[in-house]
Amino acid sequence: MSPAIEKHLNLLDYALSSLWRRKLKNLGITLVFAAVIFLVASFQFLTSSLTATADVLLAEAPEIVVQKMTGGRQESIPVSYLNRLEKIFGIRAAVPRVWGYYFNETTGANYTVLAVDRSEMPGGHQLEYAIDGKAPVDGQGEAALGREVAADLKLGKRRKFSLFRPDLSLKPFNVSGIFSESTGLLTADLLVTGLTEARDLFAIPDHFSTDICVYVANPNEISTIAKKIADRLPDTRVLTRPQIRKTYQVVFGWRSGFASICLLTALAAFVILAWDKASGLSAEEKREIGILKVLGWQTSDILVLRLWESLAVSGVAFLLGCTAAFVHVLYLDGSLFKPIMVGWSVIKPSLDLLPVFAAGDLLLIFTISVLPFMAATVIPAWRCSTVPPDSAIK
Amino acid sequence: MRPSNLFFLIVILVLMLDGAIIRQISSKKEVYRDNGHISNIVTAALGLTDLCLSTEARYTRHPAVSDPIAPFMDHPGAIEHFPSGSFWAVAENRP
Repeated sequence: MSPAIEKHLNLLDYALSSLWRRKLKNLGITLVFAAVIFLVASFQFLTSSLTATADVLLAEAPEIVVQKMTGGRQESIPVSYLNRLEKIFGIRAAVPRVWGYYFNETTGANYTVLAVDRSEMPGGHQLEYAIDGKAPVDGQGEAALGREVAADLKLGKRRKFSLFRPDLSLKPFNVSGIFSESTGLLTADLLVTGLTEARDLFAIPDHFSTDICVYVANPNEISTIAKKIADRLPDTRVLTRPQIRKTYQVVFGWRSGFASICLLTALAAFVILAWDKASGLSAEEKREIGILKVLGWQTSDILVLRLWESLAVSGVAFLLGCTAAFVHVLYLDGSLFKPIMVGWSVIKPSLDLLPVFAAGDLLLIFTISVLPFMAATVIPAWRCSTVPPDSAIK
Repeated sequence: MRPSNLFFLIVILVLMLDGAIIRQISSKKEVYRDNGHISNIVTAALGLTDLCLSTEARYTRHPAVSDPIAPFMDHPGAIEHFPSGSFWAVAENRP
């Protein structure tokens, strides 16, 4: 073994022995530090996974969605608007959709009721591959349910159920199928039915729909055609697929309220640790440095010793914190954050997310945690080690 | 045993655990991609725009097609009060 490596191993041995002498304090710092890193890393891993999952699952989102706006609120769009879209060159299909929320007063759950003419939608004829059973047929009083909706309605073996119309009369449905479990992150709260049934349930007149999905012949022209639609229909809001997908790139960010709390908590903990270190060494630590200098240690040796000490504490905390965060997000579905993320939702889909391991995330967490801790430890040690040893011992 | 050897042994054990987790992540990714085409069918056939993560408020159930002002629309002077609202940031580029 080369003398340089041997020297560093000896310094590490000494640093670890020194840490072990104050084991209660150092173990406490390591655990608190690991907990802070766990909090930040869990949030970072969870948001990366959510973003990646949305990117994969929403790859086939509608190319353009047209919503009618009145008084800053979305309201039903007249189906006659389709005639004004027909004249725009490059539109392949414009499909009106009826959808809305149904509040089940018995259980307190919100369902998303959705109806669309599948024959006009891309891949509409393939929907049955995702359903255990068959897809609902318009006008037959059928509905395909998400698994959580079926559970919430406590259907069991029953195939019939009823929902209330706005006038409190009952609208009966037959269950045509249940969405497969692998689509839970998209369909958990869905109740897919025919246009006739959805209009009847929500009391929406036949000449209105909730929004219009527009598909274009050339995907490169999405933004151009969206602009043309906005010009032709000035009372509408036009959302494009890139905008929809971008939503999920930014909504799970550090600017959200909960994320800010995580970050501020972590920052406060780092500041307290750094302040404790930077406010100076204890008399015992100063005396130890003085004795080491009397014994012939150089200033650089003392700095390396302190560096090893802080690296051991912060490195172990970093490893423990990140490992716990991996386990938390991958195996426990982010169970610490899930209550906040789903809030008061009665329907709680399982968070079966696409896991992401990004070196960039680890580097970011390392940079905001380990490096400041090492700097906060080494600088006071350098200030103390430049003092003459006799005054340090006194 | 030297303290440094014990230290390196613990670090290597934790790194091996991390390696196993990363390997698990890779295999889960493959399973996810295999099931992805079914999800893509649902998204395309129904024109879905959002993930079903939170169903308590319309702006957290469908953030991609909701207004940034939606949390404050329930009545004049309304404040945002759903817990899930604190998890989401406002989408950019929204008229």
